[in-house]
Formats: sequence, C-alpha cells, structure tokens
Amino acid sequence: MGKLDSFKRALWVFHLATGSCNACDIEIVALLTPRYDVERFGIKLVGSPRHADVLLVTGCVVRPLADMVRRVYEQVPDPKAVIVVGNCGATGGTFYDSYNVAGPVNEIIPVDVYVPGCPPRPEAIIDAVVKAWMKLEKFEKELEKKHRGGEK
Amino acid sequence: MDLTLLTGYGFWNPLLWLAFLLIFGGISYFLWALRGNPAYKPGTEQVKPFISGNPEPAKDLVHIRARHIYWGFVEGLRGYYSFARKMHTGDVRDYALWYLGVGVVVLILLVGGI
Repeated sequence: MGKLDSFKRALWVFHLATGSCNACDIEIVALLTPRYDVERFGIKLVGSPRHADVLLVTGCVVRPLADMVRRVYEQVPDPKAVIVVGNCGATGGTFYDSYNVAGPVNEIIPVDVYVPGCPPRPEAIIDAVVKAWMKLEKFEKELEKKHRGGEK
Repeated sequence: MDLTLLTGYGFWNPLLWLAFLLIFGGISYFLWALRGNPAYKPGTEQVKPFISGNPEPAKDLVHIRARHIYWGFVEGLRGYYSFARKMHTGDVRDYALWYLGVGVVVLILLVGGI
C-alpha cells in the first residue's frame, strides 16, 4: 500500500446496490460497526451521490438499473472514484452472461478499484477505499496543476 | 441639518434607514453569492436532484401549486362546494338573474317591512 499525502478532508462514500444478493452490502455495513469503525478515518456513507467522492458499487447491474447506474455516476461531482465490491460487479460472477444482466459494472461506468470476493472481507473494502483515496488525491493535484496552468 | 423625525412613538432617520438597507443588502448578497456548490458542472446530471437514480420528471408534473395547500379543506367541504359549484355556471346572465332575485328579496324585506 502507498502512502496518503494528507487527510485534508473526510472521504464521503455513496453505496449503490445494482442487484446484489446483499452479502457485499452487509460487509459494507460491517465497516460502520465498532469492530471496523471506518468513520474514525473520516470515511462516511452518505445518502446522495451529489455529496460523494467515491461510488461503492455492489451487484452485477441488472438491466433495468443500467440507466440509473449511469445517472448516479454522472451525479457524483469531480474528481470521483468508483470501487466495485464483490465478484458480481467485477465479472458478473454467478450471473455472468445472464439475459437480465447489463454488467459487469465496467461496461456501464469506468471503474478505478476492484475488490474481489464473494463477499470480500471488510478489511479488503477498507484497503480499496484507501486506494481510491490516493487516486482522488492524485486527480486533485492534477486538477490543481491544470487550474494553475490555466491562470498563467 | 437634523434629519431625525421625532414622534410620540419613536424616531425615524433616513440615513439610519439607508445604513440598515446597505448592511442587510450586503448580508443578503453574500448569502446569495454563496449559493450552491461551484464544483458542480452546470447543464449536467450533477446539478439535478437525486431521485434514486430515476430521471427528473418534468417540472409541471411535480410542481406543488398553492391550491394543493387547500386540498384537505376542499376535500372536507366537498358537499358544500359541489352544491355551490352548480350555481357558478360562468354565464353572466345567470349571475344577473341571481343579482335581481336577491335584490327583489332584500327589497321586499326592507321596503315591505316584513
């Protein structure tokens, strides 16, 4: 794992279930329990993608939800990162090539970090969120550099 | 020159009034200028409301109008309204007839001395 340059602000995460069996969702909820308590790192689940920095996607993306996934991704302000939690979102998993599956997730929206597992352990999800955080910091620096360059 | 107007109830000074206007105008402008998040890109989904990923319906389909506030009132008095609505035909001749009819009744009551 790399090193975080700063903890400038809390990382707000929006959880998007796209047809999962809820196993991954329960592991995400476990992150908020006193055993893992990600909020002590400033990682917080929010109720709207418009407030989020990171999109946490679970499930294989069933066909009726494909447009909603696209819309929710577009609603997350830039810079943003997408984490796919679980095998279903990464490859289709058990539902691979099903008539009712529009996914995997990377066929609908760009993905930054994958967490394999059925379901993955909470530690793996925390590791993915930290990786996404580092990627966001890199994006932010690039944006700042671009912004400074534009002013000259 | 003293611009203060003294009355039995207090005083009024136009300069003080202008000063208040400027101060509260400034505060209002400051709050207005802070509105929204400048990071959101205008014209994209980022500035639209989040409705569980559903598309935003047309404004006229979801607009809450003033008459919706009276829904319970109208619903509670539906019996009266349905009766009164029959009288409101929209025909001026009907209204003139009501005017004449009510006028005749009032005249009979007042002049007739009943």
